Amino acid sequence: MAIVEVMELRKQYDPPKGVLAVDGVSFEIAEGEIFSLLGPNGAGKSTTISMLSCLLRPSGGDARVAGHSVVNEAQAVKEAIGVVPQDVALYPDMSARENLVFWGKMYGLRGEELTRRVDEVLELITLVDRQKDRLEKFSGGMKRRVNIGVALLHKPRVLYLDEPTVGIDPQSRRSILDGILALRDQGMTILYTTHYMAEAQELSDRVGIVDHGKMIAVGTNEELVDIVGAEAHVVLSIDHYLEGMVQRWSAVKGVTKAMIDEEQHAVLLVQDANEVLPRLFEAAAAAGSRITEVSVTEPNLEMVFLHLTGRALRE
Amino acid sequence: MSRVLAIAFKDLRSTARNIPALAMMLAAPLALSALLGFAFGGGNGFSIAATKVAVVNLDRSVPTAGAQPAQPAAGQTVVGIMNSKDLKDILAVTSKPTVAAARKSVDDGKSAVAVIVPADLSKVLFGTNATARSAIELYQNPTQTVGAAITQSVVGQSLLAFNGARAAAVAAQSLALSAGNGARAGALAGAAAAAYVHQSERGSGGLTVAQRPPELTGGKKSKDIGVTGLVLAGMMVFFMFFGASNVARTILDEERAGTLPRLFTTPTSRQLILGGKFTSTFLTVLVQAIVLVVAGRLFFSIQWGALSAVSLLILVAAAVAASLGLMVISLVRTPAQAGAIGGGVYLVLALLGGNFAGTAQSGTTYATVQRLTPNGWLLVGWNSTLRGGGVGDIVLPLLVPLAFAIVFFAIAVLRFRRRFA
Repeated sequence: MAIVEVMELRKQYDPPKGVLAVDGVSFEIAEGEIFSLLGPNGAGKSTTISMLSCLLRPSGGDARVAGHSVVNEAQAVKEAIGVVPQDVALYPDMSARENLVFWGKMYGLRGEELTRRVDEVLELITLVDRQKDRLEKFSGGMKRRVNIGVALLHKPRVLYLDEPTVGIDPQSRRSILDGILALRDQGMTILYTTHYMAEAQELSDRVGIVDHGKMIAVGTNEELVDIVGAEAHVVLSIDHYLEGMVQRWSAVKGVTKAMIDEEQHAVLLVQDANEVLPRLFEAAAAAGSRITEVSVTEPNLEMVFLHLTGRALRE
Repeated sequence: MSRVLAIAFKDLRSTARNIPALAMMLAAPLALSALLGFAFGGGNGFSIAATKVAVVNLDRSVPTAGAQPAQPAAGQTVVGIMNSKDLKDILAVTSKPTVAAARKSVDDGKSAVAVIVPADLSKVLFGTNATARSAIELYQNPTQTVGAAITQSVVGQSLLAFNGARAAAVAAQSLALSAGNGARAGALAGAAAAAYVHQSERGSGGLTVAQRPPELTGGKKSKDIGVTGLVLAGMMVFFMFFGASNVARTILDEERAGTLPRLFTTPTSRQLILGGKFTSTFLTVLVQAIVLVVAGRLFFSIQWGALSAVSLLILVAAAVAASLGLMVISLVRTPAQAGAIGGGVYLVLALLGGNFAGTAQSGTTYATVQRLTPNGWLLVGWNSTLRGGGVGDIVLPLLVPLAFAIVFFAIAVLRFRRRFA
């Protein structure tokens, strides 16, 4: 059963001429599921989360969270959700515990319940020993953990995480991803936004791929990868004549798409890498170019995005 | 309500941990008041240093014929008035033997003014020649205008009396001549002038001016107030505006830091969040005012007045400061704008309201302008309580700023509603 139902959600800033950030997005999230919105920066992921958090009023459409409309029942929606914003939104001159106590009060917790939940969350984010230290003394990763802990204080039914791993070290990222999986195992529903393909692929039960404010594909990892079939992702570096070579390679049998990425590599989708690779080398040699680097990747979400938009999902 | 207090307590704690903000809110007004208070002679009244005056008296008494008593020397009378007990706090007089010595004293910066009494002063005063002229010379340091003005006023007052004496003499002479007693006319004129001068030396005659302070409610008499109290009241109101601005600005800071949008994602309503911000601003300036009033009492011995009146004034001042701070913040977009525009608004209000000039300009255009500002009315209230006034004496100085506060708050609420809708 869907706990989040998004129906033709739309947001235009400064209408009628302003940016159309979200353009008729629809999807559902089942209870206890991790659903990721995957897309490049500016795709409309954060705007979608802001509308589902009742922070922004939709220009059109609606969404129901835990059975309540974000347009007409904002208070009930806010009681059901926990929001982890993209940037750390805490008070640096207050300690971790003071922050949690304050935010707990904002979520309506009081007295013993508040104290108990703060203690539990401090355990969960493994900051019991540092609870009395001011946040300004914390590392980026520790702040991120408190940032997530705040949203868990009132045991929300749905947790929104807006790119919570941006700009942190690999160890903290691993810790956060493990924590999210643990929350899902406890039955929490999670809406996760990211532009890291690997995170979406690892965490999600289902993924929605967004680009330019539109939902371009929704499904499980397997369902999405099936869109590109058995195609492999081949990246080639050559010593010169890149544009001409990409044109030549696009005509090689077995190549379904060929383009140049931002780092001046040739990016190709091929049906059978073992058969196609020798032909690519032959074509390069015939043109007087030398291939200096090759990488072959099995089908993944990055390729799905490439396949659907013709652009690489920039990480 | 507990959420409002949680927000207010959180902001108060942040302010208490912000040492520069505390210095601005508490130390600056106390330090400025102390400096200005000492500059104007301490806390017990408005006073300035006595003007140093060098006097050379060349005048001699005019001898009289026969059994007539000698005429008094007018020059000596002038010097006597300048040396009188009543003027000892204003003029510090030193006698010099010669005109050159008196002028040198001014040139050397040892005196602000030299008063040179001419040799013919008594002769002209007591003589019967109505067209004769004499002048007391004031030789002054051009930079010491206040001291020179005071000296000129004192000397001018003496000369006014002498000119009255002279007019009396001339009138007496005319009367004697018209009565056909020409032989005694000169003596009569001299006696009349002498009587006038004696009168001047002793003080006013039968007609006097009675000074009476304004009456307060309940028939109480208005007290004289110390300059430090007035200065600190002005500084307190001025810095309360800045203190409120600092706390209200946390709305913009939190908006930029993302904590305000995050607050809006919690079940706490936007009205409660803004209510918390107003409460924290109000409580901060309330604490600021209480600390300053207590510090003023302890450090400067300021008698602020009746507790009930002072308490009401503090509450209303805090309400004005908080609502004005919120209104200014509601009209700007960034902390930088808040600093620039807010600073300008508070400074202009302080200049118009008399925070730096006091409320002693009664009846002038400036006094009218002061009444157009909430701080001007608050200072009128403080002036009244410092003079011993009670709640009954500050009804308007309470109600008018309160009306300002309500208007400011309403504008702030409307603006914030639109911005955070």
